[in-house]
Amino acid sequence: MFRTDEIIKASKLPPEGVAMSRHIDYIYFVPILFVTIVGTFHMHTALLCGDWDFWIDWKDRQWWPIVTPITTITFCAALQYYNWVNYRQPFGATLCILALGFGKWVAVYTSWWWWSNYPPNFVMPATLIPSALVLDIVLLLTRNWTLTAVIGAWMYAALFYPSNWPIFAYSHTPLVVDGALLSWADYMGFMYVRTGTPEYIRMIEVGSLRTFGGHSTMISAFFAAFASSLTYILWWQFGKFFCTSYFYLTDDRQRTTKVHDVFAYATLAHGDKAKLSGGKA
Amino acid sequence: MNAKHVLKLSILGLCGMATLAFAPGLISSASAHGERSQEPFLRMRTVNWYDTQWVGKSTAINDIAYLKGSFHLSEDWPRAVVKPERTFLNVGSPSSVFVRLSSKMNGTPMFNSGPLEIGRDYTYEVKLKARLPGHHHIHPMLAVERAGPVAGPGGWMDITGRYEDFVNPVKTLTGETFDSETMGSMTGIMWHVFWIAIGIFWVGWFAIRPMYLVRARVLAAYGDEILLDPIDRKVGTAVLIFTLVVVLVGYLAAEGRHPVSVPLQAGETKIKPLPIKPNPFSVEVTHAEYDVPGRALRLVLHATNNGTEPVSIGEFTTAGIRFLNKTGQQRNLDPEYPAELVAQEGLTSDHDGPINPGETVDIHIESKDVLWEVQRLVDILHDPDQRFAGLLMSFTESGDRLINSISAPVIPVFTKLGM
Repeated sequence: MFRTDEIIKASKLPPEGVAMSRHIDYIYFVPILFVTIVGTFHMHTALLCGDWDFWIDWKDRQWWPIVTPITTITFCAALQYYNWVNYRQPFGATLCILALGFGKWVAVYTSWWWWSNYPPNFVMPATLIPSALVLDIVLLLTRNWTLTAVIGAWMYAALFYPSNWPIFAYSHTPLVVDGALLSWADYMGFMYVRTGTPEYIRMIEVGSLRTFGGHSTMISAFFAAFASSLTYILWWQFGKFFCTSYFYLTDDRQRTTKVHDVFAYATLAHGDKAKLSGGKA
Repeated sequence: MNAKHVLKLSILGLCGMATLAFAPGLISSASAHGERSQEPFLRMRTVNWYDTQWVGKSTAINDIAYLKGSFHLSEDWPRAVVKPERTFLNVGSPSSVFVRLSSKMNGTPMFNSGPLEIGRDYTYEVKLKARLPGHHHIHPMLAVERAGPVAGPGGWMDITGRYEDFVNPVKTLTGETFDSETMGSMTGIMWHVFWIAIGIFWVGWFAIRPMYLVRARVLAAYGDEILLDPIDRKVGTAVLIFTLVVVLVGYLAAEGRHPVSVPLQAGETKIKPLPIKPNPFSVEVTHAEYDVPGRALRLVLHATNNGTEPVSIGEFTTAGIRFLNKTGQQRNLDPEYPAELVAQEGLTSDHDGPINPGETVDIHIESKDVLWEVQRLVDILHDPDQRFAGLLMSFTESGDRLINSISAPVIPVFTKLGM
């Protein structure tokens, strides 16, 4: 079904080398790469869109669908660069979001439930996996990061609200308490006391987008898509900056040259490599 | 490494182990919220709490309790603190041990924040439902945007029973009944599990084959034509279509299940202050000093009784701390008020008897107690603006309570010689 045998043959690795590469895959993939993304990406989102993701009464029509995609497409783009450019692996964004989700659910049950006693529905995180899948698949199908920035990043942001609506639609059900109209989410935020988070902290439904009346979600999604596209480009370049390697090559006349194309290393002639090993770095 | 070095390290190690061994016995759980760490100018000169009541000091799970009382926003509001243009009446508690069912200020429901007026009085009532068993320290709290929370006096409330018995059903406008502890949890978890499974499938599809080293070598040597397996494109297309269809169907199904929805309500609560009560007793502070070794705030008051009845001073309160004399104890002391916040005989005066109608007097009063130290209000001496503010409570013979908001600069007295 797969081209695995052909790929292994082309790698010119002996069987024990292939077996060792799989061990390296497992050791690197789960304990190192995944856990590193959990730690860094989870902290990144907690700092940049934390409250929108933590609390049900922050998930509004306007800022939640803007802030969350823009701040989360960052690591997705950088890890896509790393996985795609170096290995042609189209799962960077999904891996990122899975790691983020793992960190979020650990936080839901340790920080919010076990430590702070808030029920899971009050601190239910949003899902970004459909958005990440689409971003990865667009890269796989187009093989082009510019098109991914235009099509994939736009879809990443545009899909955020509809893919989360099945989880949170109920929280916009209206109710009346003491003669005041509230959404269920508002009342949850009111009922579950947060001593350090008074109501005015909420950054929801503020700004002139409300002049679009009932269509503010569409406008927010459109803006988020545009901004996500730009963010994707920026963070793809961050990925490039941090993943770019180089080496020094010394020629017969003892001239040392800095070579940026690391792939060239594999194609160097045996003699060149010998010089390289004795060259100045 | 010589023997001496080894001995040093061993001793250090033993000390560390001994510390770890004894630590559990030394650790006690936190029982308050750091309210004493707030600077005195913030506690004394912003919100002057009074008549605080913890109704239902011992409740069972699901029982109703109330936190109620009044506060006066001090006219001496510090320059360093942002004015209360957007405030929220909150509850200082160790997590949500109660759920707050409603909250009213001057009879107006306060679900959202709103502005309050300096120099005016407000009453509040917070309706609570017991949720988590335990012995909890509960404060009223006024959060002021860009200034932070100002904690009122804290009182202990006990909740008995089991959390597992807690229920909180609420009827919505659509006629459904939601329980705040469980509503939406299973739906949300189900959707997360579903998408996580799809995500794991997608990554797993590539993880079952050599992932990194082998592919890097092939990519470097031959480019990506071999690596881009046609079946990956087919599966990718299928997953893409599947994802879009599920998102669309899920969205439409949620719309059908919850056709009536409203946006989050982000309005502002407008609360009228209590009407200003006529007060025939006028008080002006002409001198104030804090006696550091004596732990006493001494005031010289220029007071005039413009009323028709004699008036007796009974209490001085600031930062939730109460200094009373006999009059105050008889007329104004709720026996349920936390004893650790009251100096029952902490208020003395050089004026015997009441101030008669038409009389103008200069009175020396002293509020003296170790509470100044315990509650860390003595730190007023380290404030950049050394002033005090508080409420002076006086009583007429017919039972009226007259409240005067007083404030003045404080001169510190560091030695007995300064008296």
